[in-house]
Amino acid sequence: MNQNPRRDLQLSRRQLLKYSGVGVAAVAGSSFLAACGGNGGSGGGGGDEPQSSGGILIHGATGGGSKDTLDPHQPVTNPDIARVCNLYEPLLIWNNDYELEPALAESIEASSDARTWTIKMRPGVTFHNGKDVTAEDALFSIQRFANPKAPLSAGGQLSQIIDFQSTKAVDPTTLKLVLNTPYAILDTLLAEYTAGIIPTDFDVKNPVGTGAFVYESFEPGKTSTFTRYSGYWGDPAFVDELQIQDFADDNAKVNALQAGQIQTVDNLPYNLIDTIEGAGGGVLVSDTGAWVPFTMRVDVEPFSDVRVRQAMRLIVDRQAMIDQTLSGYGSLGNDLYAPFDPAYASDLPQREQDIDQAKALLQQAGQEGMQVELFTGDDIGSVAPAAANLFVEQAKLAGVDVKVTKKTPFYDDDYLSYPFAQDFWNTRNYIAQAVVGTFPPEQGGTYNETHWDNEEHRSLVNAAARELDETKRAELLHDAQEIEYEEGGLIIWGFRQQVDGYAAGVQGLEPHKYLPLGAYRFDKVSV
Amino acid sequence: MTAPASAPSAPSFWLRARKQKRFAFGMGLTLLVVAFALFAPFFAPYGENETAGPPYSPDGFFGTDYIGQDVLSRLMYGGVGVLVVAVLATVLGMVLGVLIGVVAAYAGGWWDEIIMRLNDVLLAFPQILLALVVLTAVQNPAPWVIVLLIGVSHAPRVARLARGVALGIVSRDFVAAAEALGEKRSRVIMAEVLPNMVGPLLAEAGLRLTYSIAVVAGLGFLGFAADPGAANWGQMIYENGLGLATQPWAVLAPVLMIAVFTIATNLMADGLAQLSQKEDSR
Repeated sequence: MNQNPRRDLQLSRRQLLKYSGVGVAAVAGSSFLAACGGNGGSGGGGGDEPQSSGGILIHGATGGGSKDTLDPHQPVTNPDIARVCNLYEPLLIWNNDYELEPALAESIEASSDARTWTIKMRPGVTFHNGKDVTAEDALFSIQRFANPKAPLSAGGQLSQIIDFQSTKAVDPTTLKLVLNTPYAILDTLLAEYTAGIIPTDFDVKNPVGTGAFVYESFEPGKTSTFTRYSGYWGDPAFVDELQIQDFADDNAKVNALQAGQIQTVDNLPYNLIDTIEGAGGGVLVSDTGAWVPFTMRVDVEPFSDVRVRQAMRLIVDRQAMIDQTLSGYGSLGNDLYAPFDPAYASDLPQREQDIDQAKALLQQAGQEGMQVELFTGDDIGSVAPAAANLFVEQAKLAGVDVKVTKKTPFYDDDYLSYPFAQDFWNTRNYIAQAVVGTFPPEQGGTYNETHWDNEEHRSLVNAAARELDETKRAELLHDAQEIEYEEGGLIIWGFRQQVDGYAAGVQGLEPHKYLPLGAYRFDKVSV
Repeated sequence: MTAPASAPSAPSFWLRARKQKRFAFGMGLTLLVVAFALFAPFFAPYGENETAGPPYSPDGFFGTDYIGQDVLSRLMYGGVGVLVVAVLATVLGMVLGVLIGVVAAYAGGWWDEIIMRLNDVLLAFPQILLALVVLTAVQNPAPWVIVLLIGVSHAPRVARLARGVALGIVSRDFVAAAEALGEKRSRVIMAEVLPNMVGPLLAEAGLRLTYSIAVVAGLGFLGFAADPGAANWGQMIYENGLGLATQPWAVLAPVLMIAVFTIATNLMADGLAQLSQKEDSR
């Protein structure tokens, strides 16, 4: 009996992780400009020459396989996400600065009690088959991904709060979403890239969306082809054709870029940035809210003692982690997540390595010279094993003996029961992240690695989710963050920057805080 | 009646081997690498896991690796693990293999048939495959697991050779004489058969050592080293593969060490094999 829920959990974990994308970020001004400079003036970010139309853009991505999909609501791997972002569009989108912007919805408004939301559809938008996009299509799409019986990636939270009995399409351009509880940030849930709008007669074998590219062909694990959609409601794409190719590993992907066989790659390994720049290519650097934390279970020894958790947070040398595992491409973390949330508690003092205090705390807790096992794995991402190896050395300074155990795979039935491990998370705002990562499983905390269970923290987060006044919401969230800052089980040492590569001659790529390669918006790219 | 015509004893074989150029060169080189692996850690400029600069930078003699650790220091630390595991695995494989082979040859008849056919079944498994299958199932393997896997996978190969060599010995007069004197079977094997197999077995041991190093390094390269943080020549290649174009020494240095070491042990084995062939033809 226990096995099945766990399996489900593992699958949805992957979906969920991908749902928030390989979170990307803001313009790293200087690095970015330097990258463009290295590209002989025709930089991906903004060359001086006007962009030209025509040609074929080939994008290379790792992580795909025989289970590749074109389903708008359950992409798993990076090539899946790239396809979904070009075929479909949600009602709202996150812009480059991780702010909401209308897409297929012209406007979205909440009632004063935040229980009824009115969505006005953008007029004149058509699907690739020529059919107009209506409120019925939007409702159909939401019902598909937020199906209470089997919610897909974007629908986890929505499926619990939407009252489908009362929700209806009032007319072809108006959708009235009724909730069974007040929820002040519903709009953020509709902006996920996994919440694409599809027609009521959608068929995944011949997928139809509203994006700037039209489906042409698809070979799972190999390649997929798309052509420019001439009837696109926004600016049409520059290139005539888009190809997305799967690569088995980063080496092959980077080699193909250097050989000129492909024009863009996402997730360039940090230590290859100089190689690509040296070879005349360009590098797109974006700030993100993505993090690779150490996770301490607060309900087992020795981490059940808050002093041990505090000591571990003082042991880590945050800047060294960024310099060594991210080649410097990251920003300091303060054991808090959601750095782009307007309510991010940036006023809390930056935590720094303090070995003496850490030793004192461990002594008070009776854990001098403690031994702990740290679980890591390649499937968390290349940053994780490197960070684990570095942490061993840092912990030695405080007399803590850390033994690294590499699990293959890491995300198996043991995931969520490791006393001390690592994990990866992408850009998300505070409430969404707090629910999924710190609530008990039955209240939505499907990936609560630290087994954190704090009534006061939870009620603050829940109150904030119902609060329409942004100032009051920020105050509630600040109090919630303070609790996690003092007592939490996560060591968040930094936020990694997203680094993508492109060939000389590629123009139009802009750093994006949420997804790689300017949120994979290849319609803005010329070759 | 003349005394049993005993084949060359171990010490005299050893003396002649030292005069063989190929063997002497291989042996010298092997000893150099072993000495490097054993003593270099004392002279390493940085610790095994100490960072010395940014990742893949040219700082230091061989530059830095994927997280900025000093490549030269890791190279100095990374030999012992590979060597110890390879040597222990070889010893285990030789002992098991010789035991199986000699018993099969000496027992003869059905015993020989059964033992050697089972042996053939094991031989059908490629060596590294057996190790990979088990290591994928075992989380966080201890070093002795790797020793056991490689040793056991050597055994059938050694057994085949040992049986062949032993067959030529068990039928000789001195063995028959010993049996006629009523000596125990175990004593006949230990005192009469084994000492006369030293030449070919030493050559085989050298060859097995070469394979052991290749498998240990190969497993590290595939990400199956016992300690993911430890310096290990094979694992260093795996960790730094992506940086080959940026910082080639992080990969080339351990590759060269493994290459030199395998060539050295192979020369040694080859020299021994030539020597024992010469003696057989005398």
